[in-house]
Amino acid sequence: MNMNAKRLITSPALRPLWLVVMLIVLWDVFIRLFKIPPYLIPNPLSVAKQLVAEWPMLWRETLPTLYATLAGFALSALVGVPIAMWIAYSRLVESFVYPLLVFSQSIPKVAIAPLFVVWFGFGLVPKVIAAFLLGFFPVVVATVQGFKSVEGDVIDLARSMGANPLKIFLKFRLPHALPAIFSGLKVSVTLAVVGAVVGEFVGSNSGLGYVLQKANGTFDLPLMFAALVILSMIGVLLFLVLELIERWLMPWHASQRHDLAATA
Amino acid sequence: MQRRDLVKLTAAAALAASLTAPALAQGKDKVILMLNWYTYSEHAPLYLGKEKGFFEAEGIDLDIQEGRGSAVTVQAVAAGSATFGYVDVPTMIKAAAKGAPVKAVGVALQTSAMSVMGFSEKNIKTPKDIVGKTVAMTPGDSMSQIWPLFLKKTGLQETQFKTVSGDAQTKLNAVINGQADLLLGYVMDQNIKLQDAAHKPVTTIRFADHGVNLISSGIVANKDTLSSKADLVKRFLRATTKAMEEAEKNPEAAVDATLKAQPKSGQRDTMLVGLKLTTALYHTDDTKSLRPLRVSMKNVNESLDLLVQYGGMDPATRGKPEDWVTLEYLP
Repeated sequence: MNMNAKRLITSPALRPLWLVVMLIVLWDVFIRLFKIPPYLIPNPLSVAKQLVAEWPMLWRETLPTLYATLAGFALSALVGVPIAMWIAYSRLVESFVYPLLVFSQSIPKVAIAPLFVVWFGFGLVPKVIAAFLLGFFPVVVATVQGFKSVEGDVIDLARSMGANPLKIFLKFRLPHALPAIFSGLKVSVTLAVVGAVVGEFVGSNSGLGYVLQKANGTFDLPLMFAALVILSMIGVLLFLVLELIERWLMPWHASQRHDLAATA
Repeated sequence: MQRRDLVKLTAAAALAASLTAPALAQGKDKVILMLNWYTYSEHAPLYLGKEKGFFEAEGIDLDIQEGRGSAVTVQAVAAGSATFGYVDVPTMIKAAAKGAPVKAVGVALQTSAMSVMGFSEKNIKTPKDIVGKTVAMTPGDSMSQIWPLFLKKTGLQETQFKTVSGDAQTKLNAVINGQADLLLGYVMDQNIKLQDAAHKPVTTIRFADHGVNLISSGIVANKDTLSSKADLVKRFLRATTKAMEEAEKNPEAAVDATLKAQPKSGQRDTMLVGLKLTTALYHTDDTKSLRPLRVSMKNVNESLDLLVQYGGMDPATRGKPEDWVTLEYLP
């Protein structure tokens, strides 16, 4: 095997693919070995067949879930980051607001989701709210952590050099907090997918959550698993998009340094 | 005695106690009956039977577990996590057609319990009145799958009314709050819940009155159980039949037994109404003189036809009624 082919096969980008292939093989072997019946766990081939056969319908139903996920995630970011900044800056606000946030996080969203449908009707809004509520907390916690971990010495130095508060924020606090913010956003986006699906379980006649319900009710487990595969892919893709944005915004950060070692 | 020895002795005693405890309850078979849903009036006969000791008299220690939909309960019985299931039999047939090793051993509701219902003040009394209204249903459940058949039999088109989808609680909320005019439900379940919540009377349009002759709830078991524990199945069905007959004669006692076991499952007076609506479905004209659960195979056959035509059942897997329902374990 020549060097180029070998490098391609072992490249970091393709490694997750090999892991997925290995998992699929293990899945198939597990089913054959333990003779698991198709109404309990479908085999990978039947899932793939349904994925292809029902692709037009699946794609059509992916879009509403995707919109709800993106809208909910955007809300989590737009609402979560400012609130977290506020909490990080003010001890008073922190002592009032933070415990309340933690308390609200423990309320199971599945239980209150029907109320959203009562208050906001059937449609996109309850799904967006469910996605927002699930994705909100990781963003806040990580952002608070990020802003609080800015070293006091650095800020004192900046101030002593005559920087105004806005400059201090843009040049010191924000860049310092960005890694933490992004790690919160990455967790949040995968939870936003879950939130959108929960919203669909409760009250929707479109979306992948709807497909999951119908598939389970008719014992079409291959279709159910096909929908689950798509949902996971949505989470993976959104995560990757955030990774790319992170890389673009923070080229200097330690987490980007691994590229140098790989090509050396 | 040293501390170490004392600990060892206590551990040994605890182990011995845990081993003998089942021996004390021995002589009775532990049976898990999983219901199709949370407890409501339809299940009252089972709770009555347990309280009156009918199951105990047959050497059965019965544990009634609430379910989360017939589909899930059928899967539980297929996987062996429940000994028997009280489920919608057409749902079980569809699972069995896909390979689930389950079979029905008795059909309790021989006339369909499915209906479309709304508050009486909306004046929706006949299928024609559904035109222009909003109907709430749950995707994937048994009623939403038979709904197209009801539409065909009554000449309604999907375009003539609006549909909203949600889970069980959302369906109820939608009708209570006016977001929907009607919902699909069982004649003795959601209408009772609507009445309890809003204190307004409910009108139900029964699918069965419009040519939808589908069998409804029944007892199902895993095929392994039928072959290896035939005697247990017979004893269980003997007790269940007796319980259902007793509930027909004495509905008040059945309701009281249910509320004792599950206090939050409803209100006494409306649960009584629901139970009477339930027992009315125990027989068809063919089986009027027979004991409960003993369905007529002709009835099952008609249901199979409907399932193939409208219920999404693959015609190649239709088989004969005897493939899905057996009466051989009934008293």
